[in-house]
Amino acid sequence: MNIIAAGIFDAFTKNNVHYLLGGLGITVGVSIISVIGSLIFGSFIGIIIYEKIPFLSRYVSIINDVIRNLPLLLIIFFVYFVLPVIGIYLPVFWATVIAMTVFESTMLAEIIRGGLLAIPIGQTEGAGSVGMTNQQALLNIILPQAIKKMIPPIISQLISLVKDTSLAVGIVLAEMTFRGQIIYAQNSNYTIPVFIALAIMYFILNYGLSLIARWFDHRMAA
Amino acid sequence: MVENNQDNMIQFVDVEKYYGHFHALKNINLTIKRGETVVLIGPSGSGKSTLIRAINGLEPIQEGHLIVNGYDLHDPKTDINKIRKRVGMVFQHFNLYNNKSVIENVMLAPRIVSHIPEEENEKYALELLDRVGLKDKAGSMPSMLSGGQKQRVAIARSLAMKPSALLFDEPTSALDPEMIGDVLRIIQNIAKDSDMTSLIVTHEMNFAQNVANRVIFMADGEVLEDSKTSDFFKKPKSVRAQQFVDQVQNH
Ligand SMILES: Nc1ncnc2c1ncn2[C@@H]1O[C@H](COP(=O)(O)OP(=O)(O)OP(=O)(O)O)[C@@H](O)[C@H]1O
Ligand SMILES: [Mg+2]
Repeated sequence: MNIIAAGIFDAFTKNNVHYLLGGLGITVGVSIISVIGSLIFGSFIGIIIYEKIPFLSRYVSIINDVIRNLPLLLIIFFVYFVLPVIGIYLPVFWATVIAMTVFESTMLAEIIRGGLLAIPIGQTEGAGSVGMTNQQALLNIILPQAIKKMIPPIISQLISLVKDTSLAVGIVLAEMTFRGQIIYAQNSNYTIPVFIALAIMYFILNYGLSLIARWFDHRMAA
Repeated sequence: MVENNQDNMIQFVDVEKYYGHFHALKNINLTIKRGETVVLIGPSGSGKSTLIRAINGLEPIQEGHLIVNGYDLHDPKTDINKIRKRVGMVFQHFNLYNNKSVIENVMLAPRIVSHIPEEENEKYALELLDRVGLKDKAGSMPSMLSGGQKQRVAIARSLAMKPSALLFDEPTSALDPEMIGDVLRIIQNIAKDSDMTSLIVTHEMNFAQNVANRVIFMADGEVLEDSKTSDFFKKPKSVRAQQFVDQVQNH
């Protein structure tokens, strides 16, 4: 008991706390940029596939399926280790952001496409029957109905995005999990307290996201 | 090229329609003049919905010409939305916009398709809702309405675009019996208007006799009969039509 208690205090020296919070900052940074990027690209891709545009939709859909079915870690490695072979060098932070954005866009595209498809075809036909274009029907009738159904799965996807930023340990991005490792490598007594601290920080981040989700749900229901 | 006669609202010329390998419309030749009211009947699966949906561009045709309001739907250069502005459709299952209130259902297309000024649009929408007896429901959401009320809103929504023609695909088939009369009365009023061309798929034979100038009977993707209403109900020419009418009337 004493040993663990001593370990808890020792683990959180001013330096270590500072170092760990810096990692939190990087985790949050990667997450926010990737969330915004993948929401934008995911929506575009999802709508392109849904709209069944000749040729384009098919090829986009195939590429989307391929990427979606690869492990995220492989994509992170690809961006960081393979792109330099063809002359594209990215700092580890941006390599992570790009890999996460590409991967999460494909996941969100699938959610968005599915949400759009869940709206009965009669809604589109009703809009078409009075002369609305496909885009007008999408914007005014289909999307507003689909978004309500999409928000819960989108938020849970974003929560796994935040968690998956820890995979960037693999390319030595100094985010939260990586920095935790560095700290408990100094002293094995630090292992448990650092893990608890990491868990709490990930929990707070993601619980925050679920609160936002719930707030959206309420607003939508109203 | 097919001759473009201004008196014709809808003209099928040698139209063929396939769903994959299934031949759904077989050599359809058919003309509906401006102002006419035509009822389309036939057994289930005969292609009535396919035919009426083709007129509104909801089903592409594979061969022939389908000329609606002067535009050939089978011509890739034709802007389908231009036709749909002038040709409304009333569906069996209403297809009201679930995310919009009753009056918004009526006002949306005139606003974003025809760019009608808001005040004029609202005034006309209320007038139409009054005409279908639902002015007091203007602010309600579709989910709050009965089937009959939904269909009346759908009719008002179509009328708001001031169409030259209206297509009705079994407008009362999804309704409770006590709702049917009201909706048929409204449709009859619309069809009576000499400027309005109406094509109505229905199983309501009394209504058909009252409202139609002509009756078209379809079976297995073909038009088997196209007669004046009085001739048709006196004695259909084909045995299939005779059997069909007996069946529907006895049930
Ligand atoms: N999207 C589709 N894909 C394949 N086959 C179809 C499709 N829509 C209709 N069909 C087939 O085409 C034929 C005609 O269908 P349609 O819906 O036009 O008949 P209908 O006369 O309207 O029948 P009902 O009285 O039951 O509404 C049917 O055999 C139907 O199974
Ligand atoms: Mg039908």
